[in-house]
Amino acid sequence: MVFIHPDLAEFIASPVMIVIGTRDRANRPDIGRGIGAWTTADATGLQIIVSAWQYGGTIDNLRSNGAAALTFVRPSDYVCYQIKGRASIGEIGPAGLALSARYIAAMSEALARLGVAPEMSGVWLASREPTLFQVTPEAVFLQTPGPGAGTALAGSP
Amino acid sequence: MTPNLADLAGCFEGVIPSIVATVSADGTPNISYLSHVVMVDEEHIALSNQFFTKTASNLRANPLATLLLVDGRDGAQFRVGVRFVGASEDGPLFERVAAQLAASSAQVGMAGVMRLRSVDLFRVEDIVAYPSPSRSASSSSAYEPDLERVAAVVDAISGQSELTAVVDATLTAIETHFRIHSAMILLGPIGGVLTTVGSLGYERSGIGSEVTLGDGVIGMAAARCQTVKVSDMSRVRRYGAAVRALSTDEDRSRSIAVPSLPDAMSQIAVPMLVQGGVQGVLFAESRERMAFGARAETGLSIVARQAALAVTLAEALSREAAPAGQATVVAAPAATAFRVDHHAFDDSVFIDGSYVIKGVAGRLLVHMLDAYVSDGRTDFTNREIRLSRDLKLPEFKDNLETRLLLLQRRLDERSLPVRLLRQGRGQIRLVLDGAPVLRKLT
Repeated sequence: MVFIHPDLAEFIASPVMIVIGTRDRANRPDIGRGIGAWTTADATGLQIIVSAWQYGGTIDNLRSNGAAALTFVRPSDYVCYQIKGRASIGEIGPAGLALSARYIAAMSEALARLGVAPEMSGVWLASREPTLFQVTPEAVFLQTPGPGAGTALAGSP
Repeated sequence: MTPNLADLAGCFEGVIPSIVATVSADGTPNISYLSHVVMVDEEHIALSNQFFTKTASNLRANPLATLLLVDGRDGAQFRVGVRFVGASEDGPLFERVAAQLAASSAQVGMAGVMRLRSVDLFRVEDIVAYPSPSRSASSSSAYEPDLERVAAVVDAISGQSELTAVVDATLTAIETHFRIHSAMILLGPIGGVLTTVGSLGYERSGIGSEVTLGDGVIGMAAARCQTVKVSDMSRVRRYGAAVRALSTDEDRSRSIAVPSLPDAMSQIAVPMLVQGGVQGVLFAESRERMAFGARAETGLSIVARQAALAVTLAEALSREAAPAGQATVVAAPAATAFRVDHHAFDDSVFIDGSYVIKGVAGRLLVHMLDAYVSDGRTDFTNREIRLSRDLKLPEFKDNLETRLLLLQRRLDERSLPVRLLRQGRGQIRLVLDGAPVLRKLT
């Protein structure tokens, strides 16, 4: 079982860009963006919200086979982690919706500080048809660009 | 409507990071961020491979990959399905990507770290625009010159025969026809450095300022014979800022600062190529993001080649100058004297305590002033200068015209009491306002 370190849990919940890699039956990959993520209280699971309207392929793939790779990257310094695991679609509640709204606002603000206009980041972070999925992490990697990229932090074979 | 690769030009400027997803043999997806995605042709793209070993191993097991590309102008996102064709570790495509990568790595202080391992080539299978909650208006003010505009610039250059006129015509024409308002031309490399011989739209002209081969976007473009472009400098540390800060006092440092827009967002450095060799660099910058689009880049590369040809021809033809006529002896001008100090160790020349120039151009100035002081001569030819032993000009490719142009511009710019006038091809006249008092220092 892979546990998410508290520091990583804090990082995941901060304004970091969330990218979701999935695949279809033919092993053709797809890419989507998350609009909010957090670690479960027991540190063995992640919950991620994605717009099914904008990233429908991601949701289809998760329903079909559950294979998922998640990256969390902080745009100001490119610090990045990748988590791989099994995903399943869950139910989104009011708390999840509120968290997603806070995430979109905080992310837009963080990007604006780096010179990305809110009109532009708004294109990537649609809130229509918010859908929740949970991931059981199987491996965690440091993915910050540089010679150390890809270093396994937990659970890798 | 299905977009095609050419519609995605705004995605290849490297402004917003692109993403690649691959899948391993056991069906596990992987995500990597990309620093460079290059459109090769209508059906192929190339990715730079520096570190992402997982992506590389996945592609060997499963050639299907998906890219998420973002248009840097309006944020529009595209999902591009691709199939891995192969990796190359050399060749023109590799060189093109390596030059871009090296330049941008230097800008973020990671020179050497982001060394290119290989360029991975992919065939594009499908492109889908992601749904967008809004379609924001393009924030780019890129001006894309059409063929007529390019032809107008080439025409302006081809009408010139003198080096000075070639440099001026090129800069004036790109301002008029390409709407470029900050630009410079550097010639060389001579002795490993490129020297600014003309500039447009800067507070200081920077004539005589030098860029070392391989340094920054300009030095990189010359060293690699590749165009180097930066489309969004807002997040990158300005390369060479420290160097410029150190060289503001040229009387002490004996070097002239390269002119720059302090708040530039886009830069492009285009090598001036002729017969496979580099003659200099045409550089332009702008306060706008993504100011130089694909067509401006192509246009500038045509213009730079035309300018390179004209520069080479001007240098070559200067050897065929008319022989020296009767030495003109001009009556001593006004009685005011000015002091000329020549430092032998670097051939730097100071006039009344102000730094003028150094190196071969410094020797040229002193050589002519010496002849004036001893014989009263003011007229010289390229031919006799080339024959003079004390000038120590290289026998092959001496770039004499470039050095004379540099000297002429420097003297004009500093409003010095000695100037050079070009009297037709291969002829130079010294014009003095006062009597030089030469002092040789070691």
